[in-house]
Amino acid sequence: MENAAPQSTATPIMPEKSAGKTSPADIRHQPLVLLELIQRLKVRDVMTRDVICLERCIPLWEAQRLMKEKHISGIPVVEDGRLYGLISTDDIICAIEGGYIAQPCGHYMTTKLVVLEDDMPLSFAIQYFDRFHFGRFPVLNRERALVGIICQRDINRALLDELSEEFNRMEKSSARSMQQELDTSTYMLRDFPVAKYDFENAGKAANAIKTAMIERKFSPKVVRRVAVAAYELEINLCVHSNGGILSWQINNGRSEIVAKDEGPGIEDIAWACRDGTSTANEWIRSLGFGAGLGLVNVKRVSDEFEITSAVGVGTTVRSVVNIGTPSENQET
Amino acid sequence: MNVQDAVSVLNAELMVRGDGFLKDIKHVVASDLMSDVLLVDEDDMLLLTSLASDQVLRTAQIVGAVAVIVVNGKSLPSSMKQVATDLGMTLAVSQQSKFDACIAIHHAMSK
Repeated sequence: MENAAPQSTATPIMPEKSAGKTSPADIRHQPLVLLELIQRLKVRDVMTRDVICLERCIPLWEAQRLMKEKHISGIPVVEDGRLYGLISTDDIICAIEGGYIAQPCGHYMTTKLVVLEDDMPLSFAIQYFDRFHFGRFPVLNRERALVGIICQRDINRALLDELSEEFNRMEKSSARSMQQELDTSTYMLRDFPVAKYDFENAGKAANAIKTAMIERKFSPKVVRRVAVAAYELEINLCVHSNGGILSWQINNGRSEIVAKDEGPGIEDIAWACRDGTSTANEWIRSLGFGAGLGLVNVKRVSDEFEITSAVGVGTTVRSVVNIGTPSENQET
Repeated sequence: MNVQDAVSVLNAELMVRGDGFLKDIKHVVASDLMSDVLLVDEDDMLLLTSLASDQVLRTAQIVGAVAVIVVNGKSLPSSMKQVATDLGMTLAVSQQSKFDACIAIHHAMSK
């Protein structure tokens, strides 16, 4: 844990973020809509924010009383916003059996904790409930301050609410797709939603675009340029944005990819487009991305490249590749 | 040298036999930085990397690589085999370091 606190501070075991790439079989076999949902939703969207906490000097019997009164099974031990440990019903049972229920929480709390970060996808939380069999996980923000607590009941409630909204969205999307089906093979329009930090699915849109172009018999050279632009922009949405849409259309011999996100926006576009500049964190770099080459590479493979951005609003990147028609392509 | 030969030269354990298993390798790229791999404009490429993730396979697929060999004996996430199968990408794991793997492949291709 960064900013290591005093000796008695809890030792949070942070989930390995790369673990988000692998899901337990039971998650992978969920319907796509549910998969998308648990990637899009963040832990902060689901957690209980109004956390009941105790200080280290409070006796264990007070923790027991609070658990009974509030119908909860675990209470974080916090001072000055920092998490020091957690008292669970197991700790209370041991205290009663051991005759030390009047002792301070700080002496008997669990200090080796597994915690989640508030901006992690919900899928992480589900995986960690599966892996650790704990009743709850404290949630920390980037400054390592306790900002919430999450239990499986929170997840069930949030998923039910979100699924209802998701079905409404899907109905609208379905109507749009039907319209797209009417399009001819030389005119295509597809939208791919991309969620922040959804590395499990990042790249699937670019893959679908590449496959569609190969099926339409465009030359490998042209396919590669479009696929690289799509992939870089998709990864950018996943890594740098709060989520967005990758739109692709081919029309009149041109492939146009538009990546539009919902923030946070780029302060200095010229800097962002320079070779080797990136705001990616170590975790992103450990996954092989964030070298600051993405936009440069998109520009390289594009015949037209355009980027607009506003801090707090979002960024739109447009990449056009002149692809001709499949028959023209084969002749070249 | 084709992909099968490269797997053999590196004493690699074949995890997925993909569509290009018998294809000749024209270029070899060794990198853990997928951003670099995406800059490569070569066909029939073999990717050597010590990064074990689904994104390695997706990157390889986008640039038209014929195979991915994960070096340093890295253990693969359980999803990686499935992604390789879905993409038709040959996937193997070698215990050799990236440096040694590059030398071995170079020697074999120079013969």
